Amino acid sequence: MALAALPRRDAAAREHLDNSGRHARPVVLARDRSVVLAGELAGMVPGGSLTRGSVLCVEAAAGSARCGQVAGAGSTTVAFELAAAVTAVGEWVGAIDLDGTFGALAARDAGVTLERFAVVRRVPPSRWAAVVAALLDGVSLVLAEMPRRVGLGDARRLVARAREREAILVVHAPPGRWPAGATLTLSAEGSEWSGLDCAGYLTGRALHVRVEGRGAAARPRLGELARAG
Amino acid sequence: MPADAERVCCLWCPDWPVVAAGRRDPTLAGLPLVVVERADRGRVVRAVSARARQEGVVRGLRQREAEARCAGLTVVDADDAADARTFETVVRVVEQLVPRLVLERPGRLSFPTRGPSRYFGGDDALARQVLAVVHDAGVPDARVGIADGVLAAGLAARAGDALVVPRGESAAFLAPWSVGVVAGHVEGGAELVDLFARLGLRTLGAFAELPERSVLARFGRPGVEAHRLAWGMSTHEVVPVVPAPELVEANEFDPPAARVDEAVFAAKSLADRLLDRLAAHGLSCTQVVVEAETEHGERLARCWRDDGTLTPATLVTRVRWQLEAWLTASDAARDDRDAHDSDIDTTTGGLTLLRLVPDGVVPATGRQLGFWGGDPAASDRAARVLTRVQGMLGPESVVTAVPVGGRTPVERVHWVPWGEAAAQETAGDAPWPGSIPGPAPARVFDPPLPAELLAGDGSAIAVNGRGEASAAPRHLRCAALPNGGGALLAWAGPWPHDLRWWEADQPGPAVPARGRRRHALWQVVVDDGSGSGVACLVAITRGRAEVEAVYD
Repeated sequence: MALAALPRRDAAAREHLDNSGRHARPVVLARDRSVVLAGELAGMVPGGSLTRGSVLCVEAAAGSARCGQVAGAGSTTVAFELAAAVTAVGEWVGAIDLDGTFGALAARDAGVTLERFAVVRRVPPSRWAAVVAALLDGVSLVLAEMPRRVGLGDARRLVARAREREAILVVHAPPGRWPAGATLTLSAEGSEWSGLDCAGYLTGRALHVRVEGRGAAARPRLGELARAG
Repeated sequence: MPADAERVCCLWCPDWPVVAAGRRDPTLAGLPLVVVERADRGRVVRAVSARARQEGVVRGLRQREAEARCAGLTVVDADDAADARTFETVVRVVEQLVPRLVLERPGRLSFPTRGPSRYFGGDDALARQVLAVVHDAGVPDARVGIADGVLAAGLAARAGDALVVPRGESAAFLAPWSVGVVAGHVEGGAELVDLFARLGLRTLGAFAELPERSVLARFGRPGVEAHRLAWGMSTHEVVPVVPAPELVEANEFDPPAARVDEAVFAAKSLADRLLDRLAAHGLSCTQVVVEAETEHGERLARCWRDDGTLTPATLVTRVRWQLEAWLTASDAARDDRDAHDSDIDTTTGGLTLLRLVPDGVVPATGRQLGFWGGDPAASDRAARVLTRVQGMLGPESVVTAVPVGGRTPVERVHWVPWGEAAAQETAGDAPWPGSIPGPAPARVFDPPLPAELLAGDGSAIAVNGRGEASAAPRHLRCAALPNGGGALLAWAGPWPHDLRWWEADQPGPAVPARGRRRHALWQVVVDDGSGSGVACLVAITRGRAEVEAVYD
């Protein structure tokens, strides 16, 4: 192996290279460290993309759903759409599925590549924060269903961890239950189903989504995800 | 045949884990003994003693099956570090004859024979000499093979006690062997060998007859490496150079490290740095020399090779084996002078220097972007944390989904624990008659949730044998829905299914969760109280309604 022919690797040469690199490197803005969303969600989220290191909340707006109930308003579908943006660029998603009820085919229909969609089941509430923190270390997006309650300290540590690791944390929680802040909150506000009366089976849905958050997203935006079966 | 192939001598002690266990615990001698290790499919046999082999126990059996075949079998857990420690006695005596040994794993070492065989008067004399000293060290079952190239030497050791394949005849010697023997020597070897077998290339001879250019065109670089091996050459041209000094990683311990753990901890960061730096040069490492020095100037250098390329984890394991063998052997010798380890020269002080020298490097190929998208580095990182989560919660807790054929949402997905290969590749996208039409539900309940599907007069809906419903459904009650369910906004059904009709019927009121059963399905949209609807998939099985899935 012709190692002698390689460029110099001593400390001075390396420092010189580092310096030139620092001067030549373009400034990386937050919007460049992002994952572009596809479909209708792109029109509702500021910039049409998810910023790495940010925390998002996905909620079901139906206020009547208690913990342990499925609201059926479409929040799981919204969460799958977010995950799809990350698997589409060849990166990994770790999902925490507390009851083991995720419908993998729905995730695939939303655009998720199932080989890069690892689902963690049977997470005891006491280990939840530790598991989310571990996942943030290695995957680009963590889709975490929240247990009954999470301490404020744990939540803040996870927000900081996500920022440091440049991973996106999507918390799937009942409305208003996530104690720490979120850059964006996506609420699924129920859907209109079509097909049962005419076609004889469900053929399509119009899922109403409300997006609000900080900064550019301060003004709530309403939108509709149209899906044909 | 080119004459440039390096002559290599391989010393192999068959079933070393068993021999080592016997040397550590003399009461095990002569018993039917197996050493088991944990594998994907449970605890499997790694090494077998002669008595157990007579009873029909072979490598790769599950522990339970091995115990069934041989009554009174003694089972010992695999302990690589202890095996390496015991093998050190053999390494020491061979080192008296030959200066540069390359350790592959406990129980197996090799060395180039050029100098030693000239000194001892030929390959045959060298082989006899090595066998004699190993026998004197108390290891009766040892085999030596000398041939051109590492692969042929290893196989020669397997074929006979002291088999010397004459120079230039390695290709002929290798010809009758199965192509499977190259699997561990090239990247992606297992798949490659499987492909060769399916193409009808069952022996190395048949494979070697193909022209090299065709092999390159059809099988790529790993194919050419396997082809070179089949010809009795090494995978790469050997270019002897002195390792560049900046590639050597060293750590000085101040104060000296007295325990193996301290040194191994330092070795971790050394290994990371070494392999990172090699990767920056576009190289990866196949052979590394681990040098250690004590405060009194004693030195121990060992060369380790891995047939694949070394990773930080495997490299650290090698350092641990070597240091444990050296430092602990000295403790044992100090405590117990009459132990058979006592002829090992011992260390007298703590460790002051640990140095990793890359001895064999090959061009790195592992960090390419994957062909179908995805960065292997991202996958490696994900694999690491998923394995860690499995360590926290148990291996069954991390799963990935594999779509398979089926009619109901539960049937159509197979959840596979992370790290296990899917049982079979089934076309999940193929059309499947009778599957539920429409979008896939985002929440699937397995087992389904108990519910009540009610007609307008409040009676429960029933389905007769022809799959006809007793009335039109009006209400769905289920504790897991908002407000506990409500009136139906729309519905469709029933669709009767006869599930697993090929199985024997199980009488009685209990509904088997997965066995043969008949059910009728409805898609319903339930009013959630706020005006919009919740779509559910409801099944009636043996008169009871259950929510199978929610279109969340």
